[in-house]
Amino acid sequence: MNRFTGKTSGLEEWLEHVRQNTEIMDNVTHWRTIAPREARTAPLPDGLHHAWKEALRSRGISELYTHQAEAYRAARAGNHVVAVTPTASGKTLCYNLPVMQSLLENEEGRALYLFPTKALAQDQVAELQALADLMDVGIKTHTYDGDTPPTVRTAIRNAGHIVVTNPDMLHSAILPHHTKWVKLFENIKYIVIDEVHAYRGVFGSHVANVIRRLKRICRFYGSRPQFICASATIDNPQEHAERLIGEKVSLVDNNGAPMGEKHFVFYNPPVVNRQLGIRRSSVLETRKLAGLLLKQGVQTIVFARSRVRVELLLTYLQELIRDKVNDKSIRGYRGGYLPKLRREIERGLRSGEIRGVVSTNALELGIDIGQLQACVLNGYPGTIASTWQQSGRAGRRQESSVTFMVASSNPLDQYMIQNPDFFFNRPPERALIHPDNLLVLIDHVKCAAYELPFEAGEQFGSESLEDMMEFLVEEKVLHKAGGRWFWMEQSFPAHNISLRTAAQENFIIIDNTNGSRVLGEVDRFSAPTLIHEEAIYIHEGVQYQVEKLDYPEKKAYVREVNVDYYTDANLAVELKVLHVDKERESGDLVRQYGELTVNAKPTIFKKIKLRTHENIGSGPIHLPEEELHTSGYWFSFSEEAAARKSKNEMQFALLGIANVLVHIAPLYLMCDPFDIRVVPQVKAVHTQKPTIYFYDRYPGGIGLSERLFEVHDELIRQAKSLIRSCTCLSGCPACVGPIEEVGLLGKQQALELLNEAEGKTR
Amino acid sequence: MSGLRDRMNRLRGDRSEQELKSAPVAPPLDELDEPKHDAPSLSVEEETEWLSPVWESFGVILYKNDIGSFLLRKIVYPATFSHGLHAIEELRDAVPGLSAFHPTRSMSADKVLFLDLETTGLGVGAGNVPFMVGIGYMSNEHFVVEQTLIRHPAEERAMLAYLAEKLQHYTFLATYNGKTFDWPLVQNRFIMNGFGRNIWEPQHLDFLHPARSVWRNTLISCKLSHVEEERLGIHRKDDVPGSLAPQLYFQFLADGDPAPLEGVFRHNETDMLSLACLAIRFGHLLNENIHEYIPLPIEPEEMVRTGLWLERMGKITLTEQMFEMVMRADQANPSTLLMLASRDKKAGNWGRAVLLWQKVIIHSSTQYGSAAQEANVELAMYYEHKVKDYESALGHANHAFEYALNQSMLLRRDTKKRAELESLRNRVARLRRKAEKQLR
Repeated sequence: MNRFTGKTSGLEEWLEHVRQNTEIMDNVTHWRTIAPREARTAPLPDGLHHAWKEALRSRGISELYTHQAEAYRAARAGNHVVAVTPTASGKTLCYNLPVMQSLLENEEGRALYLFPTKALAQDQVAELQALADLMDVGIKTHTYDGDTPPTVRTAIRNAGHIVVTNPDMLHSAILPHHTKWVKLFENIKYIVIDEVHAYRGVFGSHVANVIRRLKRICRFYGSRPQFICASATIDNPQEHAERLIGEKVSLVDNNGAPMGEKHFVFYNPPVVNRQLGIRRSSVLETRKLAGLLLKQGVQTIVFARSRVRVELLLTYLQELIRDKVNDKSIRGYRGGYLPKLRREIERGLRSGEIRGVVSTNALELGIDIGQLQACVLNGYPGTIASTWQQSGRAGRRQESSVTFMVASSNPLDQYMIQNPDFFFNRPPERALIHPDNLLVLIDHVKCAAYELPFEAGEQFGSESLEDMMEFLVEEKVLHKAGGRWFWMEQSFPAHNISLRTAAQENFIIIDNTNGSRVLGEVDRFSAPTLIHEEAIYIHEGVQYQVEKLDYPEKKAYVREVNVDYYTDANLAVELKVLHVDKERESGDLVRQYGELTVNAKPTIFKKIKLRTHENIGSGPIHLPEEELHTSGYWFSFSEEAAARKSKNEMQFALLGIANVLVHIAPLYLMCDPFDIRVVPQVKAVHTQKPTIYFYDRYPGGIGLSERLFEVHDELIRQAKSLIRSCTCLSGCPACVGPIEEVGLLGKQQALELLNEAEGKTR
Repeated sequence: MSGLRDRMNRLRGDRSEQELKSAPVAPPLDELDEPKHDAPSLSVEEETEWLSPVWESFGVILYKNDIGSFLLRKIVYPATFSHGLHAIEELRDAVPGLSAFHPTRSMSADKVLFLDLETTGLGVGAGNVPFMVGIGYMSNEHFVVEQTLIRHPAEERAMLAYLAEKLQHYTFLATYNGKTFDWPLVQNRFIMNGFGRNIWEPQHLDFLHPARSVWRNTLISCKLSHVEEERLGIHRKDDVPGSLAPQLYFQFLADGDPAPLEGVFRHNETDMLSLACLAIRFGHLLNENIHEYIPLPIEPEEMVRTGLWLERMGKITLTEQMFEMVMRADQANPSTLLMLASRDKKAGNWGRAVLLWQKVIIHSSTQYGSAAQEANVELAMYYEHKVKDYESALGHANHAFEYALNQSMLLRRDTKKRAELESLRNRVARLRRKAEKQLR
């Protein structure tokens, strides 16, 4: 270490230094060093076009990693393929290799690439076009998205060999106008779907239907394209890809890419109040670790789970460079930023000009920001898959890298931080989609009918086609004639259907501080709790107060303020069971799965002081109630169990169990914690018994609570083990919740109840 | 199936709607008693030759070919027929003028096909169906309008086969917005019905573009129905607006009653005739044959725009005539004069340009107005760069600057305004230096 600057010569030396630092090491619950991995390679395949070979060689590629070679073999054998690869392992070659080869063999051929976002598509086109130019052949690659100027659209439709787009554009612009894309659809050989793991939940269910429509159009033009998918590491890549594209796929998962040594450090903030089980804020600890790294000049990415956290951390970290005027070396990055700003930040990261970035999972996807050296996770990212993805942002091929995971006090984090083996040994989560969700399905049946009349005997999803057709005839959007169903309505159905439920209904945030300008946007589900009136909305580290929320117009007007608190809103929820589809009993406990309606209304918000995080006031929220019809799973305790406890005790016990469950449920699902909700009721309307409900936060459900119903026993077991192994005395935020919420005996009550649930006595 | 509807209603969370809808699901009595007309919901095989007399009452017949059947209405007009200001026979003389659209092609009236669609929706997506196709053409001193109607979408293939055959006889396609709407839509239908995409490659005569060039700012709207009324002397009676056509067609699909469709046929028929008159109008203009057939534009704005359009189409004689008329007109808007001045500036016709700018300054009521400012800036540039009379240039620049300064006090300054003011300040300063130098 340099005695004068305190800087070490490299990451290795700094890590050694950290190992000597007891102040830090006392909080490290686990330090795993993952050995560097040698590359496993295979020669360039025989028969590869010589121009292609040359282009690869000039890029320094004279052999392939094993997974690339295998993906090529599988694709050339005519199979649909899904390749599973971690971040930065040469994934794109898995599909570019067979696609380019096929285009070189037949220049009439076409390929369609789908990326979940515009940014990813643009990255990809730059790379593909550079490769094509190297070969000096006329292969043209274009993005086709909302930013494509009308003047070049015609040229792309007719002459683009590789069209790179996103599912939204495919859904609303390409498929409904397929007659303009005859050349593409007649000659399409490959459809590449990258980041398939991103297509899960509602969005994934929509995309699966867009792909059904795509295949239908291809059939019409007499083509049978092959799908090549790429996925991050998830538990069920093959099953997921198969559900998404509706075809059998071959799995390629023998990653042969090399990796430098990787340090994975689990860091648990120190307990500051043992009685209450309160730990130091993970935000403050993240600030400390990230600050140390940044001061060392280590290029660092910090991931935080919410937009608010991102902004908080950004504010804190920018204090490091406060003295330097115009220093833009530490930046934030999240969904609400406008695209231009995001591109600028991505460039800065690649060039190294930006040394630190605080991001939501927006940077988890394959946006090209180069490889950084260190990663600090503020809280467990929610899924094992995401954790590996985010951690993969740090790690260059030859150098060491480090990832710190700083646990928050929520139970899932605490579980992970104390059970590192669970994290390192368990396969990542499953990606779930439910393409036959009736609402989603019917939406796409309409779009499909607009694109081509349906014929009797066609299949689209699991519902009977006749039933759906008849329904839509009654709805007066289809007309049956000559054994076919025709779209007969003035509207353009794709315009009213958004694949990302929130996207189309985003709330726009308008800053009125100096004139008025659009600051950013917030999705519809987050709006009631994020931008209700008087909420503090933080953007790029600056605080704004919401002055007016125009709910019908979906606009929030804000003004810059400077206050020392942030806001947090509460939601009141009512449940009604409509229909029970499945029921099972185990021990004292009955569990059911079925349909229910949920009425939710935001009630109050709290003002929470920055840094100390104490509650300093509250206010009401006046917004309309929202009704949701969805699927849910719930379990109820017996009346005897109920009789053994007072109403109050039962309340605490249920709340405690619910608090634990809501946090560990995502262990079994690949979903945003917002996608699934848990509600405990002492005497539920439906069962008249103490009951805990889970429901999917999307009309019709997307299969989350159904999966939880299946893994119920395991879920309860994990909950119990978590509560038991928590070091607190009588409940803390890391298990059943703080004692203010669940009472002094909350922990004990919850355990008792869970034991009974298994039919055992204490 | 009702199961599916119930599930949908629950998911959408609209129980109220569900209750409302569940009541009138049972068909009303009268619907049960009465036999349906020739209900279009009958499948193709069951269709009989029999056509309701209602159809015949407005001249619609059943047409059959190898593929199937559809309805056809054919109206033959004698060439002497007048529609508004023009008579159809003028097409013979006028159409050769339209060759300005396609200079390499020779053009005659019998090579032009007129086309206008009535569709089920907006846009050119695959689900927008032209249920009525109107075509018009000259045939032996007659003008023929043919209109096809499909009684249901399954009749489309037969109709398209008929249309495909017709198209082969023509080279030019005359439409109103057909380049971006009607023709792409017809092409969609050919592709979707398996005819391929190379049925016909028309040379477009899309009159929407010249109409906009000429009448923008003089007419409230450039919709065909408005243009024809204001400029072609055509007054429709009891017209069914085109925007209602889809609903009327859906109604027909539901109840099979042809009567309301008569209005759609008549509307489309008038559109076809108006299209022909528009071809006549633009043909005469391009023949520079204005006095014989068409009234001169009255408003200077229209004169300038007509001139500018003719010039773009390569017709210089009438262009100059139009521009000279503007110089003589005394009620021209400053903005009109500026438009002509800017054309003259580009063409190097500095004499008239200067005259026009000066006229703008005089005509602008207070001398100060944004048009006058623009004219002052133009004159400042002219005197500075062309004449090198810095004194005069400074005078104009000063006027422009003062005006801009006054404006900026009254209005909020945005970046653009600020930049404009800044550049004027610089211009004045520069001219002042140059003027002083010149004096010395």
